[in-house]
Amino acid sequence: MGNFKAVGSRLLQLALVLWAVVTILFLMFRLMPGNPMAAYIDPTFTLEQQQQLMAQFGLDKPLWQQYLIYLGNLLQGNLGQSFRYRVPVGERIFELLPNTLILTFSSLIIAYVFGILAGAYLAWKRGSWVEQAAIPMVLTTRAMPEFWLGMVLLAIFSFSLGWFPAGGTRNPGNEYSGLLDLYTSRDFLAHLALPAATLAIYSQGLPLLLMRSNMLDVMKEDFVTMARIKGLSNWTVVVRHAARNALLPVMTSFAIAVGYQLQGNVVVESVFSWPGLGRELVNAVAASDYPLAQGAFLMIALVVIFMNLLADLLYAFLDPRISHA
Amino acid sequence: MTEPLLSVRDLRVSYQVGRNFVHAVDGASFDVPRGSITGLVGESGCGKTTVARALTRVIAENATISGGQIMFDGKDLAKIPEKEMNALRWRDIAFVPQSAMNSLDPVYTVEYQLGEVLRRRGGMNRKQARARSEELFEMVGIDRGRLADYPHQFSGGMRQRVAIALALALDPKLIIADEPVTALDVIVQRQILDQLKELQTRLGISVILVTHDISVVAYICDRTVVMYAGKVAESGTMHQTLTAPSHPYSMGLRNAFPDLQGAASGVLTPIEGAPPNLANPPAGCRFKPRCPFALDICGSEPPVIDVAPGHPVLCHRAKESASLRIEAAKTETWMAPA
Repeated sequence: MGNFKAVGSRLLQLALVLWAVVTILFLMFRLMPGNPMAAYIDPTFTLEQQQQLMAQFGLDKPLWQQYLIYLGNLLQGNLGQSFRYRVPVGERIFELLPNTLILTFSSLIIAYVFGILAGAYLAWKRGSWVEQAAIPMVLTTRAMPEFWLGMVLLAIFSFSLGWFPAGGTRNPGNEYSGLLDLYTSRDFLAHLALPAATLAIYSQGLPLLLMRSNMLDVMKEDFVTMARIKGLSNWTVVVRHAARNALLPVMTSFAIAVGYQLQGNVVVESVFSWPGLGRELVNAVAASDYPLAQGAFLMIALVVIFMNLLADLLYAFLDPRISHA
Repeated sequence: MTEPLLSVRDLRVSYQVGRNFVHAVDGASFDVPRGSITGLVGESGCGKTTVARALTRVIAENATISGGQIMFDGKDLAKIPEKEMNALRWRDIAFVPQSAMNSLDPVYTVEYQLGEVLRRRGGMNRKQARARSEELFEMVGIDRGRLADYPHQFSGGMRQRVAIALALALDPKLIIADEPVTALDVIVQRQILDQLKELQTRLGISVILVTHDISVVAYICDRTVVMYAGKVAESGTMHQTLTAPSHPYSMGLRNAFPDLQGAASGVLTPIEGAPPNLANPPAGCRFKPRCPFALDICGSEPPVIDVAPGHPVLCHRAKESASLRIEAAKTETWMAPA
């Protein structure tokens, strides 16, 4: 089957992209000015002590050797030791990754479900006052910076009305037996509400506008006219034919949006003190904790690459013209 | 004579373009007898597709049926409420589009699209729809194994057959085929036309065939309606309109196509000029600016004259058509400016 071959070649591409990302990350941190140990080594250390530490982290070896060791470690799932926390980077990242993923996906799913429905509706109501009023509003949400929107929501719903907590993932003192227990608790969801709302409001414009313009294009297609000549109901024409076809590019944009969102998370996680990968990344760079920053970058890249693969596979599944090509 | 299946009287369809109204169909009248193929002929922009679509009442957003009657099986399609019209669609009046590629939904299998019509419009269950789909594919000569294929997996000719199968699904009384073979090569054109003719005769359906191609009309049509600039110039049996064209436009159209009998007359004579802008049509006869036989009288609205029973012609000089035909056969006639 052509399908397996396509997936196989896609996986090979993925491996190549991953290798490129890993290499760029490695070089980027080595080429940055300053000694990576500068923040770590106390100025009162003797030269000997300093060299000993450098050797301990393998920084005295030539670049190509460091690179090979780095690759070898990566293949074994070893991301190195955090300078700051003195724990394996992997451990730290996997502690934070779920928080970031929950924030990203909950906000994006809300944004896409809303955006797709509202976009289809606005295309249907083309030219009405609803559409005339809605489009500038959507454009406004697209233009608002996330950190600003986050701070406004905080000011209103947290500081002023007191409906939602201001930051973190849970109230101090609350203990949970496991992750599932935590993630389904009222406490956690209340903390999630504002950052997720910020990201959702910021992100819904893309699927909404995309869906709307696709719908407007598809509604002009012959097969939509034919569906009307067939006497099919308005619902069947608009949903089963027009919306179904307009949805294809929107689904692909979801994967790309995940990438953007992870980037946006850096800002929103900082505003809401959300203990996720984005905030950790900022802290790690600020503290010159290179292994941790490198690991966080790598993890974000991994998620983006994986989502792109998923989008390709999904597209092939949704559009028969691709899977049979 | 039995009553025709479809009788269009003084049909008017206009498009709103900015603040202006373009009368794309401006008082068209013609009949479609039961069990016949009627060719609707004319050059691009003469309003033939607009007429075809007006019969289904699925027209462009900026278009309106502004007058006239469309008597179909005792009902006036121009007047009946939308709900009643929708009940007729596809059950009584089906449509074969020009490009089956664009008119089939790319994301569903052909079986789904047949089933959609059979179940949602024909009230069949899944099993009945499946059986009917297989029957329809057999009728149009496609292997039933291909039902599960998507539109893009078919060739152009095959897709047109699928479109015909779709049109036949609910045993309609009338099929409107809008340039059904225009996008195909001549060999496939002939196969599709043969098939259409065979099915039409066997099932006793009426067909309106919209085309710009006189040879298609000559090949399968029983009757011809020649349109020019939103009006019917002439209508009659295929034989009448092709061997004894009585409107100068039909004569010119006849000269502009290769000889149907294959006799090597050699020269094709075009009609100089282009159809008038319908936003601002010329007064009187609309063919006057291009007509080699135009007289002063042609500046006034031409009358409809029956040159033979069932052969009306919209021309001041229709009674002289026999002598005009002799003139029209000469190439020089069309070269000289009128």
